[in-house]
Amino acid sequence: MLPSPFTPQFLTQLEILRLRTRKEFLGAHTGSYSSPRRGTSLEFADYRRYTPGDDLRYLDWGIYARTDKLYVKLFREEVDLFAYVFIDASASMGYPSREAKYLPATSIGLALSYVVLANHDHVKLHLLQESGGAKATQFYRGRRRMNDCVNFATGATPGGPLQLAAALGDHLKKMRRPGKAILISDFLMPPSAYQPGLNLLRAFNLDIAAIQILSRQEVDPRFPNGSLALVDSETQQEIKYQWNADAHRDYQSKLAHHNAELRSFCHQSGIHYSLYVTDRDLSEFVFATLPAIGLFK
Amino acid sequence: MEFLNPTALFGLLALPLLLIPYLIRRKPQRLPFSSLLLFIEAGEAASPKPWGRLNLPLIFFLQLLLLALLIFALSEPVFSIRPTNIAIVLDNSASMQALEDGKARFALAKERASAIVGELGAGGRVDLYVTTPTLEKMHAVALSPAEATGIIAAQMPYDLAEPPADYDQLLSQLARQQKYQRVYLITDHPAQGQSALARVVTVGQARGNFAITGFDVQRASLANPRLAAQVEVANYSERDEKLKILLKSDGGELAQRDIAVASGKRATVSFDGFAEHPTYEAELANRDALALDNRRFAVAPSARQLRILGITPRPRELASLKTIPGVQIDIIEPGDYDKAERAGYALEIFHFATPAALPRGAALFILPPQSSSLVDLGAPVTNAIVSNWREPHTLTRYINFNLFRPSYARPLKPQTAGDVVVDSSAGPLVFASERQGVRYLTLGFDPFPYLGRDNLPMSVFTLNLLDWFFDGRGGKRQATGEAIFLGKVQSGDQVILPGGKSLAITPGAGFFGGAFYQGIYQVQHGAERELIARNLLDHGESDLRAAAPIAIGAGSQGGASASVLWSFWPYLLLALLALLLVEWFLSPPMAAMKFWRASFRAAQR
Repeated sequence: MLPSPFTPQFLTQLEILRLRTRKEFLGAHTGSYSSPRRGTSLEFADYRRYTPGDDLRYLDWGIYARTDKLYVKLFREEVDLFAYVFIDASASMGYPSREAKYLPATSIGLALSYVVLANHDHVKLHLLQESGGAKATQFYRGRRRMNDCVNFATGATPGGPLQLAAALGDHLKKMRRPGKAILISDFLMPPSAYQPGLNLLRAFNLDIAAIQILSRQEVDPRFPNGSLALVDSETQQEIKYQWNADAHRDYQSKLAHHNAELRSFCHQSGIHYSLYVTDRDLSEFVFATLPAIGLFK
Repeated sequence: MEFLNPTALFGLLALPLLLIPYLIRRKPQRLPFSSLLLFIEAGEAASPKPWGRLNLPLIFFLQLLLLALLIFALSEPVFSIRPTNIAIVLDNSASMQALEDGKARFALAKERASAIVGELGAGGRVDLYVTTPTLEKMHAVALSPAEATGIIAAQMPYDLAEPPADYDQLLSQLARQQKYQRVYLITDHPAQGQSALARVVTVGQARGNFAITGFDVQRASLANPRLAAQVEVANYSERDEKLKILLKSDGGELAQRDIAVASGKRATVSFDGFAEHPTYEAELANRDALALDNRRFAVAPSARQLRILGITPRPRELASLKTIPGVQIDIIEPGDYDKAERAGYALEIFHFATPAALPRGAALFILPPQSSSLVDLGAPVTNAIVSNWREPHTLTRYINFNLFRPSYARPLKPQTAGDVVVDSSAGPLVFASERQGVRYLTLGFDPFPYLGRDNLPMSVFTLNLLDWFFDGRGGKRQATGEAIFLGKVQSGDQVILPGGKSLAITPGAGFFGGAFYQGIYQVQHGAERELIARNLLDHGESDLRAAAPIAIGAGSQGGASASVLWSFWPYLLLALLALLLVEWFLSPPMAAMKFWRASFRAAQR
């Protein structure tokens, strides 16, 4: 049973989309993504001198006519894509509730997974959690595996703290094929925490997209005025805070600065970046915002 | 500005308590959040301490102002317009002689009175009153401030207790009748409330004090020429104290005793067997606040003469009483009793006789032949054995009851309330009763004739019963302020006061009413001199711990107050209401309740 946003109409719209990659990867099978290897696609890549045994069908007779030399046309190989969807499942993704933040995050991940599955490419879901080891699915291919993806992603409960770089490192140790990496997280961590994580993905030659998920309560907190004891959902650290209109403005200013810093880092690192506030319409985000940042072809 | 209810100002001392709720760190509402990344710089680490940095909001200062205004309003502040026609009532009772840091309360009262008079303008008029012995004006016409100051300076307190009075009514009545704009009572009693018309000015504070509350000098017994004295001392302080009492006469010390008296208690010391002197003085050697009640005076008891009327059919037996020194007895037949002149007899002895009605004076009934309203007689017994007796009792002292065996006796059957003093196996033998202060004694045996040493137990009993009746006559203690009976006054007679001042007595004056000071008064009738002791007998004046407060208010409202006072406390109340409204807008109660409810829920979670 697919979650509520995945209506037939929504799925139909997703099937039209294809993930865009800015890098060429060596695929396993023939697919629709460019490979650095030469192959048999329709996309012309280069010429080379004819050597006996070459397929005469690829001789360029026009060049032979002009130069009296035999050249064979080379074409790009088109391969399938390996996509990795990393979903942050730390405790902060459960605020204000699992339904209000974590499930919308999984919905985005599943939507992107469905796009991959519908194109007969490979997708693998990873849960980023500090406890319980590196939880990940095997590579799924084909629409019929969508339910497996849903069961895996929605079956988890966010909890515990998260060191992004370390958690990604655990998952990347087992990775053999480069491809598209989609990191879904709230990125409510200092730059010194998320930058090594993203750099680690870059080092694995992955084409990266970072989708930041924030709930409305995080964007615009509505606490009662007065003295508050705020408790960090991951570290359980407690601080006393005097909440009032000034504090509210100060918080929003800091959040805007934090997000701008993240966006700037992603831009400089060639990472697709987008912010999704969970009270927004998922369809609008998937079909308007994500194509706008170049995530889809 | 003055305060009609200055006690309320003590509430200002409680104002700092308002800080407590702000000092106590309220448990902040505990809220989880995804990440404190963006809060850490501005927040501070939560502390387990129950108090925190004092953070006083505007509402605190508003509440402070509100409470201060309320207390201020409750103290009833008034702007006083200077009165020009006043009366000053000086408390000149004995307790005003108590010392306050070396200065007498009365001296302080005079200073306060002079200060009040000094505040009057040149055209002001003053009337001066004293409270003791009765509230009365000291002069005939109204005084100018300068004249009043002179009269005040000359005043001295009396050794008298002040009469009980409702000063609230008394002062307001005085003010209304004499058209005073204000009446000041300067006293050592605390005031409860003030009014525009009557003001109580209190001098002095609660203090511990010791006092001699009783001093009696008597003959040890009827036949004993030596004297005995009893001194009762009271400890009106908060601690137990060892007191030294001196017995003096003519400036010389006769004896001294030490006695420990617990706080708030009294104790009695006895001095026995001292010689007769004209006057005696008991003195408390311990220093305390009031010196007046540390001395008591007494004069030697007059020679003891017990005049007895004997009613008996056996006169020889009763006549044996004449052998006892100090006893004078006249004997009549029972049938002559109704016709006899009975005045002047201290005791009537009915020996085998019964009067038709109980005599008005003390009476001894010996084996009455008929039943009386006091007793019935039982069947005769011989050699009655005494089985029980009251002890200690004047009637039973020094008697060896093993030897006390009346040869003929008839047990008594009491018909009225009284004491069985001596009891035998057959029934009571001695029954004592008292009606309206008159002593009656009924014997179921005949103690007469008085044989002296020949029948010691019965003789001792006879002397005891005469002592008992002699004591029963009682000598009323005489207090300062009571008139001294002068008797027949002739020209040249005079009264010498305790201070030595002589006053000529007007012939025809029956008594002297100016005995306001404690000490020995001498009344000289020609060559004869009579000594009379007067003492402060009101214990309330000696107890300086907690004088009864004088409540002012209900009786002295209205009248002239409007002309001399302008009350503005109602305006303070209006300001208070306005502040309440401001506070309501600053901190609506509903919002506050919501906040507290949310906090409570968060705490529960």
